[in-house]
Amino acid sequence: MATRETAAAVKDIEQYKYGFVTDIESDRAPKGLSEDIVRFISAKKDEPEWMLEWRLKAYRYWLTLAHEEPTWAKLHYPKIDYQDAYYYAAPKQQIKLDSLDEVDPKLLETYKKLGIPIKEQQILAGVAVDAVFDSVSVATTYKKKLREMGVIFSPISEAVKTHPELVQKYLGSVVPYTDNFFAALNCAVFTDGSFVYIPKGLRCPMELSTYFRINEKNTGQFERTLIIADEGAYVSYLEGCTAPQRDENQLHAAVVELITLDNAEIKYSTVQNWYPGDAQGKGGIYNFVTKRAACRGKNSKVMWTQVETGSAITWKYPSCILQGDGSSGEFYSVAITNNYQQADTGTKMIHLGKNTRSKIISKGISAGHANNTYRGLVRVGAKADDARNYTQCDSLLIGSTCGAHTVPYIETHNPTAQTEHEATTSKISEDQLFYCLQRGMTKEEAVSLIVNGFCREVLQTLPMEFAVEAQKLVGISLEGSVG
Amino acid sequence: MKSPGILDHAFGAAYAKRLGGLPGAATTALDALRQRARVTLGTDGLPGPKLEEWRFTPLRGLAKIPFIPAASAEDIEVSDVPLSVPKIAGAARIVLVNGVYRPDLSDQDFSGVSVSPLSTKNVDGRELLGHLATPSAAPLVALNTAYMAEGIALHVHGAAKPIHLVSIGASGAEPAAFHPRVLIVAEANSSLTLIETHVGLPGQPYFSNPVTEIVLGSGAAVRRYVEVAEDADAFHLATTAVAVAENATFEAFHLGLGGALVRQETHVAFAGTDATVKLHGAYALSGKSHHDFTTVIDHHVPSCKSNQIFKGVVADDAHGVYQGRIHVARDAQKTDARQLHKALFLNRGPKVDCKPELEIYADDVQCAHGAATGEIDPDHLFYLLSRGIDPERARNLLVEGFLADAVNEISDETVRDVFVGQIAGWLKKRGVQS
Repeated sequence: MATRETAAAVKDIEQYKYGFVTDIESDRAPKGLSEDIVRFISAKKDEPEWMLEWRLKAYRYWLTLAHEEPTWAKLHYPKIDYQDAYYYAAPKQQIKLDSLDEVDPKLLETYKKLGIPIKEQQILAGVAVDAVFDSVSVATTYKKKLREMGVIFSPISEAVKTHPELVQKYLGSVVPYTDNFFAALNCAVFTDGSFVYIPKGLRCPMELSTYFRINEKNTGQFERTLIIADEGAYVSYLEGCTAPQRDENQLHAAVVELITLDNAEIKYSTVQNWYPGDAQGKGGIYNFVTKRAACRGKNSKVMWTQVETGSAITWKYPSCILQGDGSSGEFYSVAITNNYQQADTGTKMIHLGKNTRSKIISKGISAGHANNTYRGLVRVGAKADDARNYTQCDSLLIGSTCGAHTVPYIETHNPTAQTEHEATTSKISEDQLFYCLQRGMTKEEAVSLIVNGFCREVLQTLPMEFAVEAQKLVGISLEGSVG
Repeated sequence: MKSPGILDHAFGAAYAKRLGGLPGAATTALDALRQRARVTLGTDGLPGPKLEEWRFTPLRGLAKIPFIPAASAEDIEVSDVPLSVPKIAGAARIVLVNGVYRPDLSDQDFSGVSVSPLSTKNVDGRELLGHLATPSAAPLVALNTAYMAEGIALHVHGAAKPIHLVSIGASGAEPAAFHPRVLIVAEANSSLTLIETHVGLPGQPYFSNPVTEIVLGSGAAVRRYVEVAEDADAFHLATTAVAVAENATFEAFHLGLGGALVRQETHVAFAGTDATVKLHGAYALSGKSHHDFTTVIDHHVPSCKSNQIFKGVVADDAHGVYQGRIHVARDAQKTDARQLHKALFLNRGPKVDCKPELEIYADDVQCAHGAATGEIDPDHLFYLLSRGIDPERARNLLVEGFLADAVNEISDETVRDVFVGQIAGWLKKRGVQS
């Protein structure tokens, strides 16, 4: 009996840990993309006229880009048929809830499997969770408490109605619909996401977090997040993703916009663990994300931290436009690719204001048949006096069939700027491995330990509860890569 | 990707019409090569700004000028080598004027190497022409191959006496373009030191489009030191393709001191194990000069080493570019590849763009790159001033010191001294101007 249990448990571990499907009847739009679908989504969301107009403009612009899907990234994937996907799916439950007890128990169970004990989080961690299940936010907690302090933390579809002036002012101001192919697509069909506004001078007392989850089969996820930190405000925002196992590729094209005014600070942390496809490279999420921050105010600060372990394809460049004098941007990234995963990720630091600072620490780990590319831009404008940049990107190769690439662009148009870029590529040294093995560790434990050490600088910047999860994830992602 | 065929506007059909008989026109092999390149050129044109490799170096200015073939401009007369060309002790001089070999200005006392103009009937190793620098996917190589004027072939048999190749550009009443071609074949265990000086005469803008192919046999050692000090209105777009066999050593240094638009593109392919490539360079730019170093190093085979150190100084409204790519193939284990680019700003106005790229498919390798930009450290300047050195000399010392990291990589002492002298000359000239 015990043996059978163990066998079952082992089998369970072999599977993608979060690979399960919740069976909830969903309210979905017909397959394909057209103006009608855009209108359908907008109507479904009960949006004001201006929002629909904006979506349609974006859609029409996207149509003109039909042949301009970006090809410059070092990514290979079959051509995506945008007419062969669903653009809207929402869980049936639409009634406003007073407490968690009223939430569909099936949903709650899903969260449990995902490791989001909402109640416990409320009590223990002090984290307000805006859980996005598929595309519609179902349960929003701690809202009242935050509201009392003047913080607005709500699904963006709600914010469009409750705070149209803020949404209208800032939506698309950092990533306009003309920005790129995937951003245009997102503007046209985004279904939901988070909206955060931190009022002047407030240090948000708790970390805000959203769990994204793709659930409906063949549903593209088009999240839209907008975070505004008013003068002197501070907020730390966590984003984490897991997705169920699928055979067909799922498209994910999110847009995140951050805005910091004078002396404000936003810390944005991501752990991305979408389904990466199986060991043969079948399936997996296509993740095309546009993330950008505008440091508009003086001495404002944005810090991006990302741990990218999932997705079959990752195309993601969280960027900072350092407009305000003295503003600073930081980018910490760990990207792990295994099996047939491909990641092309990095950042852009655009220095426009005086005394602007940027720091980039990128760690790429490649195993199996994976390809991992760091692609980054540091640009110092002619007026950005005394700008400083420090970039370090290190790559680690595990095995002889993977690839690690570094493509930095450094454009300096100001004499007083100081930019530094360093990059190295190496493998796990035999000495380190031997040292661990002779102390009784298994090879996988040793690799996990060494790789965790390699990424330490980045993982340290994560909030505590995320850091723990991320460290485990680093080990799990590389399972089967040594042997 | 097809780039805009801007060739049509400036020197397309009209250029071909005025071409007349190219040297060696009756040589079947050359004619076939030219014909193929002309077809490629017709479809690809000159590279447009949307082409990734050319994003930092737009050719719009070049495309506007209606160049004529230098060979058909009869009013150009160059009777002597300009005084700015340094004399290299112990080296035999070969002079090309607008890409055409000039025996009257050249030395003839070569040893260990046979020198023959490409139009000569029997050129050793001519069948190798066009094998390394192939017209497809390289528009400027296509342009050169289609219209290559006279070029020279150097066949190195043993320990050769150093050669100083001087290329002089000049236009007559109309802007002229020329396409020098050099083929160097170094036999196994042979060695050659080649110094190149590219200069020009003031006047109408001219366009020099040299292509150099270098084949190193096993154990061969080739050192190539190139100085580009073209006229302030001149265009110089050079492509070099090198193949390095096992145990061979290729050392190159490029010095860029001027020209309206200069690009020195070098492609190195390792063909045998345990070979070493050192590819270094420095630029010192003023006025509106644009200098682009582009390098591509292909590590196809295991256990090879490549090292690149590029340093640059930019003043006035100059634009410095470094883009280097290191490609390490799956089988190229034990590769050691490094690249470094640093630039120093002397005032407000210049631009520096840098793109050091690593593309790695093997795990047991050591690869690193670095890049940095900045201005003269005020503390360093203060240190020198406090010791009674006048400001101009102090700044010059710091600039020379900055470039020394790269220049000191030149293993030939004579050439190193000459290049240090050329940099000092550039600083002196600039000092007088400002």
